Amino acid sequence: MIGLNDYAPIVGQEVIAQLQRLAERVGPRRFVHINSTRTGGGVAEILSQAVPLLNQLGLEVRWEVIEGDQTFFECTKAIHNALQGHKGEISPDLWEHYRETNRQNARNFTWEADFVLVHDPQPAYLIEDLRPQARHWIWRCHIDVSRPNPKVWRFLQEVVSQYDASVFSMPQFSQNLPHHQYIIRPSIDPLSQKNRDLTPEEVQAVLDRLGVERDKPIVLQVSRFDSFKDPVGVIQAFRLVRRHTPCKLVLAGGEATDDPEGSRIFAEVMEAANGEPDIQVLLLPPDSHHEVNALQRAADVIVQKSTREGFGLTVTEAMWKGKPVIGGAVGGIVLQVRDYNTGFLVHSPEGCALRIRYLLHRPEMARRMGKLAREFVRHHFLITRKLRDYLTLMILEENPHSRLIEL
Amino acid sequence: MVPHPEMPAQNPFVFRECFLMPMPLGQKVVNLRELLQALREVKESVLYYHLIQSRLVLTTPAVEFPNDFALWAAAALQDVKLAEKLSSFDPFDYESLEKVRQAMVDLLEEYLWDSPYVPWARPGFEFHFCEASTVVLRSEIAAQTLREFCESLNKVGLDSLYYHFFEARWRLEMGKVDDFSFWIDSNFELPELVAAIRDIDIYFYSLKEIRDTLLGLIHQHLGELCDRTE
Repeated sequence: MIGLNDYAPIVGQEVIAQLQRLAERVGPRRFVHINSTRTGGGVAEILSQAVPLLNQLGLEVRWEVIEGDQTFFECTKAIHNALQGHKGEISPDLWEHYRETNRQNARNFTWEADFVLVHDPQPAYLIEDLRPQARHWIWRCHIDVSRPNPKVWRFLQEVVSQYDASVFSMPQFSQNLPHHQYIIRPSIDPLSQKNRDLTPEEVQAVLDRLGVERDKPIVLQVSRFDSFKDPVGVIQAFRLVRRHTPCKLVLAGGEATDDPEGSRIFAEVMEAANGEPDIQVLLLPPDSHHEVNALQRAADVIVQKSTREGFGLTVTEAMWKGKPVIGGAVGGIVLQVRDYNTGFLVHSPEGCALRIRYLLHRPEMARRMGKLAREFVRHHFLITRKLRDYLTLMILEENPHSRLIEL
Repeated sequence: MVPHPEMPAQNPFVFRECFLMPMPLGQKVVNLRELLQALREVKESVLYYHLIQSRLVLTTPAVEFPNDFALWAAAALQDVKLAEKLSSFDPFDYESLEKVRQAMVDLLEEYLWDSPYVPWARPGFEFHFCEASTVVLRSEIAAQTLREFCESLNKVGLDSLYYHFFEARWRLEMGKVDDFSFWIDSNFELPELVAAIRDIDIYFYSLKEIRDTLLGLIHQHLGELCDRTE
């Protein structure tokens, strides 16, 4: 099992010591996380990494998962999409099913806690029945709710308003709520399969297996086949680059079987790539963390030409591998990528092509920017910072009327 | 005369750690006129967050836009001229947040008066107001001598640098006085070093650069004293 001290060579012993001191001040608080799945998805990934580390810091941490039938998850998927701005309504019957499923789950939870962090909308309604079982209830929203469907948000707002605080990933997602709202930015785990150091042999083995030759510089985009990730725009940019500079493009994406749009976009990508031997489209299974890691490390330039983006953890992952990123000037990418510093922000396929050429012709500059990018991630977007934010959040919630707490 | 590196101070310097949690207000503006109006009304803690505390929240490797308003002008309004003006705005030039507010309002009023149009943010690039809560913790790192002080500066996190140097210039309300130069001034006869530290133009340095600059200055004034810090 990965221990807290394993992170010391990466973030510095002082950061680990700081976490331990902060945890001492917090004390052995009972801290319950609740979400809707133990495997698959970003939240489960975060919790599987963070929960053991919080336990090592002396907290008593439980991770509870609510159960539901297919109708429940269809309903919560619809809520999820609506919060991300999709139109459409959720019928009263479905809302009732949502409430009833939460009530059923509530009957199985007998723990008592100092803090409960409820992740996303699926288990949010538990507070109705479980409020007396914990002193502090905090709702953690991982979703881009910058423009939520008003009807669906109105229902959820009533539920969330019962909480003592909410946590969002970016200020853009904050809402009109009657309690404190906090920002905890997403993070990556540098020791996970997706981000751990790989030997050159490990990288080469993956490239061999995937049939990616290193005969030319590699330009890479890792993303689902989703129109907002603009894979066709990346191909357009690549074709512009190829008129001047030899290179190859690898588009690596997860299977999108649950996304009806995914297969259409994939077909569009295949059509756009047609006849170009230097474009490789890789359809990877969802658990291809090791493969993605190797591809990112093998790439010379990494692109994330999104036209809409929540935070863009693929950008964070690429930066952690010391790569300059060319990113669409949207969402959280703007927070991470600064022109001539950690990468380039672009607004068009032409801009993207220009910056790819710039970096391919200036490998020394690319290395320098990649180095800055890695340091930026080290300071702001690693899991140790998230642990620190959780601990700080607990101290703040126990002193809700003070903006400055000196311990 | 340079003090002996092992000469103890009257009071040790105890480093503190500083953790900020940004707290969005759920309030946003979409153009420069709305920003101007909001700046007249928002709490001082909001101004403080966007002009000073944001430095600790997200320290970019190099400071191109030293505050959130300048960054917004550049990235969202895509108004380079305004970004230049806001980047040159240094809150440390003012004695109070009320005066900072008035100066910001004056700057934006003049800019709008002179501008043929109202700069507008693209959708999704609205300015979102935040404030922050802070937890300050005594660390276990303390320095009794100048040698220990140099060693400690290398050891502490950037949050300590922010607290003792960046934020202290505001907190102490003594012009350019910060915790470090105050301690050196109170305990050692080193007026030139103290003056040099207070002359650091901090608003355009990242926290890491502030650490490097401080160590460079101490090395310059004390020579070998700080050589054995590794």
